Amino acid sequence: MSHFIDTFFRAVFLENLALAYFLGMCTFLAVSKKVKTTIGLGIAVIVVEAISVPLNNLLYNFVLRDGALAWAGLGHLNFSYLGLLTQIAVIAAMIQVLEMVLNRFFPLLYNTLGIFLPLLTVNCAILGASLFMVQRDLGFIDSLAYGLGAGFGWALAIVMLAGLREKMKYSDIPAGLEGIGIAFFTTGLISLAFMGIAGLSF
Amino acid sequence: MHNDSPLKAFFVVVVTAIICSSLVSAAVVILRPIQLNNQMLDRSRNIMKLTGLVEKGVAPGDEEILELFRSMDVRIVDIDRAVFSNELDPLSFDQRRAANNPDLGVDIPAGQDLSSLGRRSRFTTVYIVLRDGELERLILPVHGAGMWSMIYGYIALEPDLNTIAAVTFYEQAETPGIGDQIQRPEWQAQWQGRRIYDETGELRFAINQGKVEPGTSTWLYEVDALTGATVTADAVTSMIHYWFGSHGYRGFLDLLREQGYAVSRITGSTG
Amino acid sequence: MTSKETFLKPLLKENPVTLHVLGICSALAITNSLTSSLIMSVSLTSVLVMTNVTISLIRRHLPSSVRLIVQITIIASAVAIIDQLLTAYLPDAAKTLRVYIALIVTNCIVLGRAEACAMKRGPGASFLDALGNGLGFSIILIIVAVIRELFGNGSLMGYRILELVHEGGWYEPNAMLLLPPSAFFIIGFIVWVIRSWKPEQNEEAEFKPAPLPDSEKR
Repeated sequence: MSHFIDTFFRAVFLENLALAYFLGMCTFLAVSKKVKTTIGLGIAVIVVEAISVPLNNLLYNFVLRDGALAWAGLGHLNFSYLGLLTQIAVIAAMIQVLEMVLNRFFPLLYNTLGIFLPLLTVNCAILGASLFMVQRDLGFIDSLAYGLGAGFGWALAIVMLAGLREKMKYSDIPAGLEGIGIAFFTTGLISLAFMGIAGLSF
Repeated sequence: MHNDSPLKAFFVVVVTAIICSSLVSAAVVILRPIQLNNQMLDRSRNIMKLTGLVEKGVAPGDEEILELFRSMDVRIVDIDRAVFSNELDPLSFDQRRAANNPDLGVDIPAGQDLSSLGRRSRFTTVYIVLRDGELERLILPVHGAGMWSMIYGYIALEPDLNTIAAVTFYEQAETPGIGDQIQRPEWQAQWQGRRIYDETGELRFAINQGKVEPGTSTWLYEVDALTGATVTADAVTSMIHYWFGSHGYRGFLDLLREQGYAVSRITGSTG
Repeated sequence: MTSKETFLKPLLKENPVTLHVLGICSALAITNSLTSSLIMSVSLTSVLVMTNVTISLIRRHLPSSVRLIVQITIIASAVAIIDQLLTAYLPDAAKTLRVYIALIVTNCIVLGRAEACAMKRGPGASFLDALGNGLGFSIILIIVAVIRELFGNGSLMGYRILELVHEGGWYEPNAMLLLPPSAFFIIGFIVWVIRSWKPEQNEEAEFKPAPLPDSEKR
């Protein structure tokens, strides 16, 4: 259990996908103008990450990696090079299915989150979490912790930035910095702040 | 076929999938031999630094490295049973993957897991440099959790299996300029001559908090601190304490010291 | 749009990174090394060119229902091939870069240009557009990398340029430049410089401070 929490906290603070690895920047900077929108986006990211990372983990461990197909008697095959193609296909398909399920059974939720879901198919953060999971060779429970943590960390970062940008609406910013200029500087400062948390162990 | 017909959509998808997979698979098949050769070269190069077989400042070519590598004894050690094993192929054995394998890996008890590894492989590949048939250096792989990343390295021991001959950290992603100083050859050079265990057999090696004064009692067992890199340095110390402790190589080293190593004896028991 | 315009526009006037804020996601993390950035630039430009030309060639036969997934499949395959080439011929660099090369699949520039240009224009124009955007992206990446590696580590592509204090030299390296946040600051500065030079790229502020009443003016 403590390993689960440890992985979760590492993913949120020490290995924050947005602030330490710069993933999902496009959406990050484009959508972070209002706190309300970003909360919706953040929840969508958490849900998608929490499902896609464990799913990709199962796929990798039972189909793709070297010797994974031993349960089917094909243990000598190594399809790991197809990892990229399958991971992105899984994510795209999963988001499509999620969209359809939400639309049919949870229309209220769909109206809040639904617009963001297609956007997330090509969000670096979603694919990035799966890629890091493979690189670090996480187990199934660990990938669940990592998926939740990665999504939560990204959501936290974007909501923070939105909060700050909302406050800065009324500031007298130099013309050249208005918009993405100041957003970059602010994100850099938040990222620097998060680095101060490194070295904490749980 | 009309662009909007479902048949066309199906056809386009299938054709794309087949062509793309074929191209990628072709690339993989053609390039795989080169990739495998690179992996072997990479590992050999890292270990070469520790063997003492290559002079300082000389950068040997690829062929030479592979030849020197082949002149060493590469063996698999069963860590828990402290014996050499002949069941697995030392050149292709992948320790990292074995750790997660239910048969080849084993859980590390929470109290002993100083390096946050969770699991480790039951077997390890060790490299033995021979001189006149006798063990000249024993090279052991070590790894452990650093501040930001998993740190991987090799330690070379002198024939007394206690004095460090050399160390290298070949894979890490610690803080640039701070934690990643563990890569600096000048700092690694300090490890030479330091001992891991003291006369009573206690594990004494550590990275100091500050500078180690020659002549003090700690000098034999400790290495200077790295400026500003306390977390990484502590992580490296924990790594050494784990791998040379009772759940690591200690049992194997004790037995090897007792029985000695000779090339002629290649049965399942140590020696 | 003439061919020359198609190629030159993305370099400065419509630079994908500084104007459209596209495509920097995956690349910023590796800008602490010029070598990595060069490899990333070449990889992204190659993927851009390969995929945009391919998509442009089949654009008339792509049904809209599967358009996106087919584009993504083509992009992912191109990236997988580049990844294999890298592991074979530049294995040391590949170790650090593999995850980021893989993220080219979701790089906004690649998909963005596929939708905006490759789906609408012929292979020739798509080729120039892809090349221009790739170079525009590369320019920004290289500027950031040069600043970060040179002033953060005193070296460029691994070659020592400035003698570091702890090696007996005079230069005290700026350690912050080696940390991730510095990349954000540098791009912020670059955007500022470009927009001061070309004010038409400035974004509109939502609120402007009210002018001081005469009684308050000094």
